[in-house]
Amino acid sequence: MSTPAIKVQNVTVSYGPTPALLDVSFEVPSGQLVGIIGPNGSGKSTLIKTILGFKKPDVGSVELFGEPADQVRGRVAYVPQHGSVDWEFPITVRDVALMGRYGKIPWWRDASAEDKRVAREALEMVRMEEFENRQIGQLSGGQKQRVFMARAMAQGADILLLDEPFSGVDAATERAILDVLQRTKESGRTLMVVHHDLATAAEYFDRLVLVKQRLYAYGTPKQVLHPELLSGVYEGRLKVFSSLSHGDAPAEVVGQVKESKDPTES
Amino acid sequence: MFYDLIIAPLTESATQRALLGGSLVAIVCGVIGCYVILRRMAFLGDALSHAMLAGVTAGYLFMQAFFNRETHAGAMLVGSLLAGLFTVTAISFVSKISRIKEDAAIGIMYTGVFAAGGLLASYFSERIHVDIYHFVMGSSVLVIDDSELWMMAIVAAILLAIVIIFFRQFQITSFDPVMASSLGISVIAFDYLLTACTSLVVVSAVPLVGVILVVGMLVTPAATAYLISDRLGRMQVLAAIFGITSVFGGMYISTWVGKISTGPMIVLFATLQFLFVLLVAPRYGILADWLRRRSMVPQQLVEDVLGCFRKDPKAALSKSVVNKYVSAKPEEIRRAIRWLDSRDWLDVDGDQLQLTDTGRQEAVRLLRAHRLWETYLQHLGMPETELHDRAHVLEHMHDEETVDYLDDKLGHPLQDPHGADIPIDEVKLTSGSKVKIANLREGHEGTIESLEGKLTGPSLTVGGHIKVGPRKENGEVWTLRLADGRWVELDHSAADSIVVKLD
Ligand SMILES: Nc1ncnc2c1ncn2[C@@H]1O[C@H](COP(=O)(O)OP(=O)(O)O)[C@@H](O)[C@H]1O
Ligand SMILES: [Mg+2]
Repeated sequence: MSTPAIKVQNVTVSYGPTPALLDVSFEVPSGQLVGIIGPNGSGKSTLIKTILGFKKPDVGSVELFGEPADQVRGRVAYVPQHGSVDWEFPITVRDVALMGRYGKIPWWRDASAEDKRVAREALEMVRMEEFENRQIGQLSGGQKQRVFMARAMAQGADILLLDEPFSGVDAATERAILDVLQRTKESGRTLMVVHHDLATAAEYFDRLVLVKQRLYAYGTPKQVLHPELLSGVYEGRLKVFSSLSHGDAPAEVVGQVKESKDPTES
Repeated sequence: MFYDLIIAPLTESATQRALLGGSLVAIVCGVIGCYVILRRMAFLGDALSHAMLAGVTAGYLFMQAFFNRETHAGAMLVGSLLAGLFTVTAISFVSKISRIKEDAAIGIMYTGVFAAGGLLASYFSERIHVDIYHFVMGSSVLVIDDSELWMMAIVAAILLAIVIIFFRQFQITSFDPVMASSLGISVIAFDYLLTACTSLVVVSAVPLVGVILVVGMLVTPAATAYLISDRLGRMQVLAAIFGITSVFGGMYISTWVGKISTGPMIVLFATLQFLFVLLVAPRYGILADWLRRRSMVPQQLVEDVLGCFRKDPKAALSKSVVNKYVSAKPEEIRRAIRWLDSRDWLDVDGDQLQLTDTGRQEAVRLLRAHRLWETYLQHLGMPETELHDRAHVLEHMHDEETVDYLDDKLGHPLQDPHGADIPIDEVKLTSGSKVKIANLREGHEGTIESLEGKLTGPSLTVGGHIKVGPRKENGEVWTLRLADGRWVELDHSAADSIVVKLD
């Protein structure tokens, strides 16, 4: 088996006296589109930040393509949450995409024709090339997301981490973003996406990570989206369970009881 | 002496008027100032006061040209309000139609209007008898005549009435405009109303402290009140009070010293008053923060002190022994000990320290966390030499859920990698509590409360009495003696699925 794109091993991360993530382990093979689900405050953003190398684990390790996460530079890209961007900043779509190349341009020279070509290709990939000259605030929600994905691709990143890209966008936009995610995946990249809507999770993702401090399940949507598992994690707060297509029941554990002799007799 | 300094000035009617007028202004400044700082509009107050120069000059010239009257207070007031209104409109116009943000637009427009006022005043300097310097910088001796006093009183009455009547509307539009508009409260209307009130306040405060310092009157007492208030109404009352004390303080000091301008002294007094409150405020103050931090004992240190009792939780230790084990400054350790004493976790008898029952439970919980983390780290393949130090850092995570998770994941081990016993969570295993067999140790007895999940093999009955025997096969197999004397063995999953109520 080839080296996994992302390997999270026994990761415990804390901000204070209780861990935000406890003993989380999973591996994502290259070229997968993985959803991260879990209730609010369950550690989804923390997981993204840890994979990104922004937050150092207390225990455990993160490897990207077999190398420690903090030694891999530029291969992981992060698409920020909508709220954390100044959308009135004087910058065009093209400039944002070109920003992805900044890590590769030495300080003494300008962006080369090659850099510009790569940036443009990235915009074509997300079908935003015709908006090149627009200021970023003058785009719809989905278009904004796509520009930042183009930046990630221009960066040459093989791994894309997206924190709630679907929050606050309409259904059509969600489709458009999903389409870009799918095509990014088909180009061989690995994506992890924080997602809120359990109803669409099965359809969108190849695999799901269900976290709430601990890793409750990791696998195909069929394995993870099981009502018993979910109601444990969401504590019955969601009603959609019944409408979910029932996946495979988690394998039942059978305890074994045997007769024995008196162990206290030697 | 006291009479000369405090009472004598009060007997002069000029001083009485100045103090009264100043207090009226201070009250409205404080009350409206609260909204100004909560909505981050301080810069707007500045803009309005600067625009006044143009308004006053224009009003003055207007009355002189058409009615041949000098220094007409009413005209200057109206002129100021119009200039303020013009400036505010221009600011919002520029920031709406262009990409210029509001703060920059304010900077552009108010300096423009201020400059126009200055030019107007200098061009007509022979005809205008307004003392520009004092108008801008504040007057040296505050002279308030009766008509001005009346105007201040009327302005104050109108503003206070508006603030009281629309208290809730102002509160909600400041705090949560989205919700306000969902309730049908026009956010824009109250924005305008508040801007109008701010203009009025500014206009009435300029004669007191001058154009440049008006913002100080508007913002500083309100900010001072903010430091010690958690409710808007209280904040407004305190802001008014701090405004009045500034006026009194400023005026008295400038009277005593002589030769110094009253306006700047009032504002300086307000600033010093703010700094003082900032220092001593009970909750948001610097001193309180420092005290809090000083009295806060780091959790790590407390745990380290408890850790000294690891070997024998019942033993009494002397303070010097604790000082030797714990790496921290002696005074910090003393504080940790005091803290433990105050929580009743530690009995302090002269030099001797002994854990109380609760203290012992806490120490045991900590020890359990430490040893489970060590076992976990060993399980992950960490070299034996690093186990203790790493676990010492990690044991600060010892909440029940985390520790139970580790315990279960490791198969409820009996000993840590160094062969030391992992204690049980005593608090959870008292008589009457319901626990999984997996959590029990040899010797525990109880009745089966419920059987969850699937079990193979000889059937166990709910209500049957059991006694836990020794673990077998490296602790991976639990043994039970049933009521009829038979023995059974359970694997981890079986032990996890049987709940027992302890005798
Ligand atoms: N910077 C931080 N400082 C302290 N605690 C934090 C911080 N960020 C997150 N947490 C805590 O960590 C937990 C997980 O948060 P997060 O990863 O943001 O969850 P999610 O993204 O699933 O909503 C929460 O309990 C949260 O309060
Ligand atoms: Mg989050």
